[in-house]
Amino acid sequence: MAEPATAHAQHPHNGAGHDHAHHDEGFFKKYLWSTDHKMIAFQYLFTGMLMAIIGGYFAYAFRMQLAYPGASVPGYGTVSPADYLMLVTNHGTIMIFWVAMPVLIAAFGNYLIPLMIGCDDMVFPRLNRLSYQIFLLSAIILIASFFVPNGGFSGAWTAYPPLSSQAAYHLTPWGASLWVLAVALEFVAFLMGGINFVTTVMNSRAPGMTPLRIPMVIWMIVIASILFMASVGPLVAGAVLLLFDQVLGTHVYDPNHGGDPLLWQHLFWFFGHPEVYVVLLPAMGVVAEVITVFARKKLFAYKTVLYTAIATGIISFFVWAHHQFVAGIDPRMANIFTVTTLIISIPIAEMVFVYLATLIGGSIRFTTPMLWALGFLGAFLVGGVTGIFLGSSGSDIYFHDTYFVVAHFHFTFFPIAFIGSFAAITYWFPKMFGRMMNETLGKIHFWGTIIPVNGIFLPLFIAGLAGDHRRIYSYMNFPDSAKPFLQDLRIMATVSLCVLIAFQFVFLYNFIVSLLRGPKADKNPWNANTLEWTAESPPPHGNFAEMPSVHRGPYEYGAPGRDQDFWPQNAAN
Amino acid sequence: MTTHENTAAHADHGEHAHPNYIKVWGILVVLLVVSVCGPMLGIQAVTIITAFGIAVVKAYLVAKNFMHLNIERRFVVYLLLTMLAFMLLLFGGVAPDVMRHSGRNWENIAAKAEIERALAKASGVAEKKPAEPATPQASSAADNYKSVCAMCHGEKGEGNGVAALSMTPKPANFADPAFWQTRDKAHVEKVIREGGPAVGKSPLMAPFGARFNAQEISALADYLMTFKK
Amino acid sequence: MQKPIATTRSMAGLPTGRLAVWWVIASEIVIFGGLLVSYIMHRLGHPEWGGYASHTNTWAGAFNTLVLLSSSLSAVLAHQAAERGDGKKAALLLRLTCLGGATFLGVKALEWSHEIRQGFVLSTNGFWSFYYTAAGLHALHVIAGMIIMLIVSRDASKGRELQRVELIGIYWHFVDIVWIFLFPLLYIAK
Repeated sequence: MAEPATAHAQHPHNGAGHDHAHHDEGFFKKYLWSTDHKMIAFQYLFTGMLMAIIGGYFAYAFRMQLAYPGASVPGYGTVSPADYLMLVTNHGTIMIFWVAMPVLIAAFGNYLIPLMIGCDDMVFPRLNRLSYQIFLLSAIILIASFFVPNGGFSGAWTAYPPLSSQAAYHLTPWGASLWVLAVALEFVAFLMGGINFVTTVMNSRAPGMTPLRIPMVIWMIVIASILFMASVGPLVAGAVLLLFDQVLGTHVYDPNHGGDPLLWQHLFWFFGHPEVYVVLLPAMGVVAEVITVFARKKLFAYKTVLYTAIATGIISFFVWAHHQFVAGIDPRMANIFTVTTLIISIPIAEMVFVYLATLIGGSIRFTTPMLWALGFLGAFLVGGVTGIFLGSSGSDIYFHDTYFVVAHFHFTFFPIAFIGSFAAITYWFPKMFGRMMNETLGKIHFWGTIIPVNGIFLPLFIAGLAGDHRRIYSYMNFPDSAKPFLQDLRIMATVSLCVLIAFQFVFLYNFIVSLLRGPKADKNPWNANTLEWTAESPPPHGNFAEMPSVHRGPYEYGAPGRDQDFWPQNAAN
Repeated sequence: MTTHENTAAHADHGEHAHPNYIKVWGILVVLLVVSVCGPMLGIQAVTIITAFGIAVVKAYLVAKNFMHLNIERRFVVYLLLTMLAFMLLLFGGVAPDVMRHSGRNWENIAAKAEIERALAKASGVAEKKPAEPATPQASSAADNYKSVCAMCHGEKGEGNGVAALSMTPKPANFADPAFWQTRDKAHVEKVIREGGPAVGKSPLMAPFGARFNAQEISALADYLMTFKK
Repeated sequence: MQKPIATTRSMAGLPTGRLAVWWVIASEIVIFGGLLVSYIMHRLGHPEWGGYASHTNTWAGAFNTLVLLSSSLSAVLAHQAAERGDGKKAALLLRLTCLGGATFLGVKALEWSHEIRQGFVLSTNGFWSFYYTAAGLHALHVIAGMIIMLIVSRDASKGRELQRVELIGIYWHFVDIVWIFLFPLLYIAK
């Protein structure tokens, strides 16, 4: 696969593309119609951040309703039962499909892939632009669905039929159809993006960038893209059938007319479980980059991380039915899926151990990105360990659809979608915008996030153990759930959420002020090895003044016999 | 060296030995004829072999000769086969629940009833069960009230259902004569259909226009009036 | 727009365009695969669907199979011509392939309108839901292929971007293969 190292400086395309960026591009062409991978990454990033604000606002509204049932929520008003269902449904949908996916995979994939493998752009820049435009369209359709008659879809983010397929049950005919349409379009956008990512990494690496010299985050994004491509197809077909059930009166998911509602659950989770790893793996990759740089140590076992990531990806196709243990699936199948579910914890645990081994003996610098990376490992561990109880069919019969499940998957998705993204944003901010972020504010934001997160979800574990069912509008209607100590737990979770949201303003302030007035960053502020740090900050159109070639792996820190403790991948010696 | 990458890109793109495409096409057409004629024998095993066995052979021939998978990089073949393997996996995981209609400790009654109904219809036998299985639309206003409204408005329409405890403002009390002084049937129907906010009332009253048709809403409104004291 | 350097590299040993087409086909396999797996499961679990399927027109299906197989032949001959640098011939053959696609869609339209007149519509029962969804999704791919093919043939007739003739050909053969499986699944098995 490897090509001999060649100099590309004199490549005729390079200089031309470089100059082109600096003259008379209108605002529209530069920011909205760009084919430059960095600009498309920013588009994804900012769209994702905007959607995160909407998703967070929804969480605020329904958590307030749970803590203070029936009271008017400041900034929202009264949350009616119909509103409540709409809010929880769309909170889940937005946070997974419109926050975790675009920020972690699309934004950082787009930004990092060409820079880290040493080329000037994606292989299909216009396809890349189209992918963002379809994604934006899907986001607009989703937001529009909140304003149609009867409001947004309220059949839960998993959209199980018959609840989701018949307006008589979910009561939101317009919202449901727009929701399905938006999700299907979003999948199409990420399919296009994924093909672009995988093709770029396979074909366009810099000379010398052999497979085992590719930075881990790139590997993870590629594996995630392949997982997405291989798993989403059946759900795309299933979503079309669901839309037909809703709009055209077919009965594909209706058992009274020869259909089967379980089919949707299988199609959904055949995609839905790999999807967890689609967003997890890039976050793990970001953590690998950050901890090696700030521990000044080589990644403990590069190949092990790579192989465990591939193994996780493959095994993730064999576990999906653990979401359906109580849905009426055959108990013998439940046995099989219990075993595979417990097996998948092995490679992930192995990966965490490798990261811990990387930290041991390193000269650790507690910068903001490093704090986020360490916070990720800690928080994700809680999420992973509680998953064992849910993956075992016996205990899942009790835990299913309780707040234990809610707390479990928030302890996995919050670290992935937010902690991972904050690690990535704070780490690559100097490269993306050419300015440094404020460390003090960054640390305040870190502690102001990590403590309330535990304040939100640890009480929910206890509430779940006590039997609190999910998707209940008001627990005051059920004497067993209305006990004061349970209500105290709910109030604690809600108050923690408000604190968490308040501290996000620190981040927004830091982000905007640093973007405009932060101190200028030089090329390589963290003394990192990977190729993106050899480009200007921020990199110009075309990325590199001279196309790099690669001589060693990405994690050569503290190599003996050198003046510096880092050894850039492109340095000849 | 500047054109190195370009030449590499086209290295295996150049002229390669082309099979006789017309001959391959001829074989495919013959196979098509066989697969159409096979079922005419009326033997099920033969039908399955000629229909699906030949489909696999045809797909193989097209993939090998027209898509040139025989001279493509091996990993492409493995990639496509992996995707097919995932589809087998999907079948293996889903079929026990969806394809079969009973298993250990469970039975899909609805599916079995549907099969029985359809087969009876196909063989011309009069249907045993004339009515469709119960759907929400088929039930009476009293049933509809119990399943949807009573949770908040109470079994006797007094606005004191179990869910009413935590609500502000409280659900309407249909037993209260004062309630009916300012409202007629059309108004009540509008609220059921479009929800509380449509008449400037609380959003806690959700719109049920998607749940009930006009006839049912009218029946419900009539039913509500019977609560009046 | 200029092509980025990235597009001209080929570390994996095959041209970028072809690599991407294979990934497109890989993701298409799971889309059609998911739909067909769902259909097969229902079909095997519901003996009454065999009766529903007897209303499909095998001869129309067989004729369409022949049309698609022949259009695949012209697509691969276009590829051969493009490799020899004969852009004009390649463009002609691609347009012939498009004609095949149009014939396919025409037959499909006649067939469907006949079936709809008989009262077999998407919501009649499960079999017809899958019948129209699977064949409709396939028809959308035929339409997309034809549009791309017309664009490629316009460039090819001027001798530009000749490698694209092969790429659209590969996609077209894939659409052909999907039909090769749809034909027995929807028409022959009764």
